[in-house]
Amino acid sequence: MTGQDATRSSPDDPLARLDAGRRAVFAAVASELIPAAHGMPSAGEVVGDARLRFVLGARPDLLEPLLAALRPELGDDTGGRMATLGRDEPGVLAALQLVVVGGYYTDREVRERIGYPGQEARQVVAWKVPEYLEEGLIDTVLARGQTWRDPGTGRRRGGTAARPAWRAELDGDAPA
Amino acid sequence: MPAEPADVLIVGAGASGAVVAKRLAEAGFSVVCLEQGDWHDKEDYPGVRLDWELQARKRWATSPNIRGLPEDYPIVEDDSPVSPLMYSGVGGSTLIFAGAWPRALPSDFRVRSLDGVADDWPLTYDELLPYFYRTDRDFGVSGLPGDPAYPPDTDDAPMPPLPIGAAGLKVARAHARLGWHWWPEFNAINSVPYDGRRPCVQRSTCQSGCNEGAKASTDVTHWPKAIAMGARLVTGARVRRIETNADGLATGATWIDREGGEHFAPARVVVLAANAIGTPRLLLLSNSSRFPDGLANSSGLVGRRLMMHPFANVAGLFDEPLMSWQGQFGDLIESLEFYETDERRGFVRGARWGLAPTGGPINAALPSRAGTQVWGPEHHLHVRTHLGHGANWGLFAEDLPDEANQITLSKSVTDLSGIAAPEVHYSMADNARRMLDFHIERASESLLEAGAYKIEVDRLMRYSGWHLLGTTRMGDDRATSVLDRWNRTHDVPNLYVVDGSCFVTSSGVNPTSTIVAIALRAADHLVETRAYQAVPA
Repeated sequence: MTGQDATRSSPDDPLARLDAGRRAVFAAVASELIPAAHGMPSAGEVVGDARLRFVLGARPDLLEPLLAALRPELGDDTGGRMATLGRDEPGVLAALQLVVVGGYYTDREVRERIGYPGQEARQVVAWKVPEYLEEGLIDTVLARGQTWRDPGTGRRRGGTAARPAWRAELDGDAPA
Repeated sequence: MPAEPADVLIVGAGASGAVVAKRLAEAGFSVVCLEQGDWHDKEDYPGVRLDWELQARKRWATSPNIRGLPEDYPIVEDDSPVSPLMYSGVGGSTLIFAGAWPRALPSDFRVRSLDGVADDWPLTYDELLPYFYRTDRDFGVSGLPGDPAYPPDTDDAPMPPLPIGAAGLKVARAHARLGWHWWPEFNAINSVPYDGRRPCVQRSTCQSGCNEGAKASTDVTHWPKAIAMGARLVTGARVRRIETNADGLATGATWIDREGGEHFAPARVVVLAANAIGTPRLLLLSNSSRFPDGLANSSGLVGRRLMMHPFANVAGLFDEPLMSWQGQFGDLIESLEFYETDERRGFVRGARWGLAPTGGPINAALPSRAGTQVWGPEHHLHVRTHLGHGANWGLFAEDLPDEANQITLSKSVTDLSGIAAPEVHYSMADNARRMLDFHIERASESLLEAGAYKIEVDRLMRYSGWHLLGTTRMGDDRATSVLDRWNRTHDVPNLYVVDGSCFVTSSGVNPTSTIVAIALRAADHLVETRAYQAVPA
């Protein structure tokens, strides 16, 4: 649906083993798992050639179980097909679901609609005083005193927690 | 492979093997390491690619049984509710670990004395302190010193802490209201440029390899230095057995290359660093007329007392967006509020909690942790309410040793070299079940106090066997332990085990920090006692 479905075939094309019948079954299953709803497109609509090639290119191990999941012997009833697979071949059903989900959520437009930009590189700002220090959230932990269990006595150590050097620095009274 | 015996032969190039190799090379030892996997480039890792979540479930899965790579060995795990996780390669499982870097606590080494269960260690927290200090600098650790759950002035870190994220801040505020412990997590992940490596960029793909080199895996922290000092690292080398001579001393290892060719690597001292599954497997494979039950196994404890930290995941869902797909996968914050024994709870010992990011949209749809799959029109609402709206408490329960939890050799399954695969026999103890049930309730309270409107629980996660411990325990009594307090086997005086197999009890924290401190201590001892070390003639 997003212009990513330009056809491309090669001798190694994993789609070459998906005949028209299996493709139709896949589209029906995909749309049953993830139908168009709540402003989102169906997986049958999204997971076309490009997305299938992408998933099966990344995960060639999924091709055989996908072919098994789409075999005509399982009949025309999509719900019945999935129920049968779930009962008799859960690994095959899991592979089918992963192909559908993997194709759907690697689609650019789907990602935009769910507000997911991917795993982004974000600079860590280590020099900035963290919010939890400014709010005193660490101070509440320190205020409870030492809580480690002394192996010599078996009791919590108790007593005032040591004042960390960073605390003194933040308070501006670090030793010169 | 040189015919001249190496001073030290190390099996395994992961966390502990790298620490020992670097230290011994520094001290002028000739070091050879055999590693069944290979080197990786940062470009190999899928975290920067669109297919990351797909690869994380296969090629970069943490289970060797799922990956099924030629360098992996299969693990027969039908008799275990928990799957052991590991990685074969230069860096070993540090390539795929989260990077969380808590230390074992002082009480962890005195479980028998304090709580009347299991055994005390032959060493103490205080003895390990100088090694923690050194390994924290060698690996590169980010953290906030001063946690009162540890003895004062013992938790320094060379880098400032990583961000705790919106989810961490919410839960920290909740714990302030509850009066519960929390602390920014110590992670072996750079928060600033350190030791020639870049800082973390919060991509949250730590368990598929770090594309930045910010996470401390020993292929970037240790091996380049060890090799520069003369250590020799042989990849694609699968060890079949440790050989011994008529005097009962180790003489080296027989190993298989990628093409199936067999080789012998001679050595004066052999150090096993192949994790708590691989090490006992190798010792059991190395039986002989002199050692009929496996090498170094006069106690009968090789492979026994396997501990894996039963793990539960408690997820909270929040109305507001937390962008919780970002952030170091080494934890954001931790809580040790319920770590120590309180017998009123109905169990002894406790668990550490680590708050972690929640993954991308494929994980929202097909959760690998707590949660369900939802199909049909409601699928879209399910993904919208889960993606970026969650916070996960991971609960690591202390696993007490049980001799019935063990590694044996399979009679029917082998790796690609025809070497018997390990079988895992493991069940979770009642104490751990009660412990997890208690902690699940408390962690749920934590997230509800933080504002979660829904809690989802995975009460014992199958793919959670990250922490492999205890299968060649150390101790002072050779009848009840495999290793002495310096990690040397009681039975074979030039054979050492430096990985997590040496643990006497498991503690309730991620163990890598403690494993490598113990490994460095063992290496120091080897250096200090080299003049007295028994070696084959």
